[in-house]
Amino acid sequence: MNAVMQEAVKLPAPSVELLSEIQQTLYREARLLDAERYDDWVTMLTEDLHYHMPGIETRYRRDKTDQVGDLKRMAYYNDSLDDLNKRLRRLKTGTAWSEDPATRYVHMISNIEVEHTPNPQEYKVYSTFMAYRCRNERDQDTLYGNREDIWRRTSQGLQLARRLIVLKQNVLLSKNLNIYL
Amino acid sequence: MKLEQLINSRRDYSAFMDLDEGWLSRRIFHDQDIYEAEMRNIFARCWLFVAHETQIPNPGDFLTTYMGEDAVIVCRQKDLSIKVFVNSCPHRGNKVCYADAGNARRFVCNYHGWGFDTAGKLQGMHEEYCYDPGDIDKSKWGLKEVAKVDSYKGLVFATFDPAVPSLADYLGDYRWYLDCIVDNDEGGTELIGGCIKSIIPANWKFGVENFVGDAYHAGWTHDSGTRAMNDGNPFPPIDMVNSFHASANGHGHEFGLEGVGDIFLLGRPKVMEYYNSVLRPRMAKRLGERRSMIFGSVASASIFPNVSYLPGISTFRTWLPKGPMQLELRTWVIVNRNMPDEIKEEITTGVMQTFGPGGAFEMDDGENWENCTLSNRGVVTREEKLHYRCGIGRKLDHPEFPGTIYRGQYNDANQRGFYRRWQDLMNAGGAWSEVPDRNSNRLRGRETRDLPGGLLNL
Repeated sequence: MNAVMQEAVKLPAPSVELLSEIQQTLYREARLLDAERYDDWVTMLTEDLHYHMPGIETRYRRDKTDQVGDLKRMAYYNDSLDDLNKRLRRLKTGTAWSEDPATRYVHMISNIEVEHTPNPQEYKVYSTFMAYRCRNERDQDTLYGNREDIWRRTSQGLQLARRLIVLKQNVLLSKNLNIYL
Repeated sequence: MKLEQLINSRRDYSAFMDLDEGWLSRRIFHDQDIYEAEMRNIFARCWLFVAHETQIPNPGDFLTTYMGEDAVIVCRQKDLSIKVFVNSCPHRGNKVCYADAGNARRFVCNYHGWGFDTAGKLQGMHEEYCYDPGDIDKSKWGLKEVAKVDSYKGLVFATFDPAVPSLADYLGDYRWYLDCIVDNDEGGTELIGGCIKSIIPANWKFGVENFVGDAYHAGWTHDSGTRAMNDGNPFPPIDMVNSFHASANGHGHEFGLEGVGDIFLLGRPKVMEYYNSVLRPRMAKRLGERRSMIFGSVASASIFPNVSYLPGISTFRTWLPKGPMQLELRTWVIVNRNMPDEIKEEITTGVMQTFGPGGAFEMDDGENWENCTLSNRGVVTREEKLHYRCGIGRKLDHPEFPGTIYRGQYNDANQRGFYRRWQDLMNAGGAWSEVPDRNSNRLRGRETRDLPGGLLNL
């Protein structure tokens, strides 16, 4: 058995039911984000949420700078639930000019992998996203990246407690980031 | 003959604007020829910001950036000086460094293995025996160095032009305002690690002119961001009597005197508390009461040609030109080195929430500049003027403030100052002796930190 498999089997393999439940949850989340249903999305987040998307520089392989794990470095998002809610509040002011006309979104989620964690209420979930945006006449872009989540079973159902998003661009090839991934 | 004309072409750019009347031609925001002339006459001549000293503290530390569209490496030397050289191998022109930053003992070209030490000197190459005696004098084929490197209180600038005035004279009286952000406490400043880069399909000048003086857009463009960050509260009221535009050598700082407006916009109460109870009293001692109240008020600033920052919000950025209709925005967070870690982190989080590409303020800017750039290009539209006359009658001789001063921060004065400098440099065609002196160096030779009363101390 190879090392990667050994790492994964230290804890019991997730059941098909659990895989399905989490997969459906991620798809539901993507559908809410496509439709800008942020009030509903927020109910899927825990109070202690950490939502992090670091800025990634191009560096040589020998360079051991921790660009992903060092929370003191520059990031697109390094938010608590409260921070995220502030961003979302902008959309409700009625004066977020660059949101009107609305941006059209597609979130595609794939490569979903689920692991148990030492906390029986929490699951580690890996996934890959492709997020497409189009607005106004012909303004469009596509963002690709990987996510590492912790989903927690609470009285509200499965809720997102941690999300690390690694976008695969160095220079963000877009003028803004009015999207949640 | 054609090439000769292109290289030496002198053109009168005065027709593209009348700053005494207060208008600009739309052509300067999309025209390829004008853009090429900007690269030669402005970006190949001026002092350009390339790094903060704390980004490359140790020998071999480097970062890569652009001066105009010329790729450069900024590298700390063994003697701790800083060298800047073109990131292009003299053999076929390939980049010799592909990373944004790091530490290197040498830079080796991937193409034929030409290797350069951290001072840019050619040391050797792959299969060196293929060069016969007399084929190459290695001492003459190093990486091209810029003409000069100098720094002002942590900010490192470089220039391709050996004839440029000293950095201190280039910054001129603007240093008095720049001190508000780079010298407001013991120990100097640093940039938070990493750099967030994004592209905006807009002319580079729209970013710079926005920060040099456009307080006017903030309350409208950023109404949503302001309310989002501050529990629904609108943009702070502007006092048109006690707020100013200050411009010197094209650099500009527009500001109020209330001391808290920009800090409020950051939306971090702990940062407000730190400024008010810890930093401001120290700043008042160091820079004078006046500048301790300029700092933190509703304000924005740009250093000519392409650096901008917000004192009090602490975003620090450069607008790299990428053709007439695209810019690359590089942003950092600037903090005092001696701030408690918790405050640095609060400021960083606040800046990322407000002025990153996902920031509640920044998000509404890019689209405006994109559409300014695009629509100005129409063949009929481009013949129309743009209005830059706001506040043109409010110039005053201020007894205290250096530079050219206008009253009321809702004003186009600093923008006019920026474009006047643009026009001066474009018309001079690179000859600094022909760049008019606009009385922006009354504080020449003085340490501006020690002039709490500005002109009153002369």
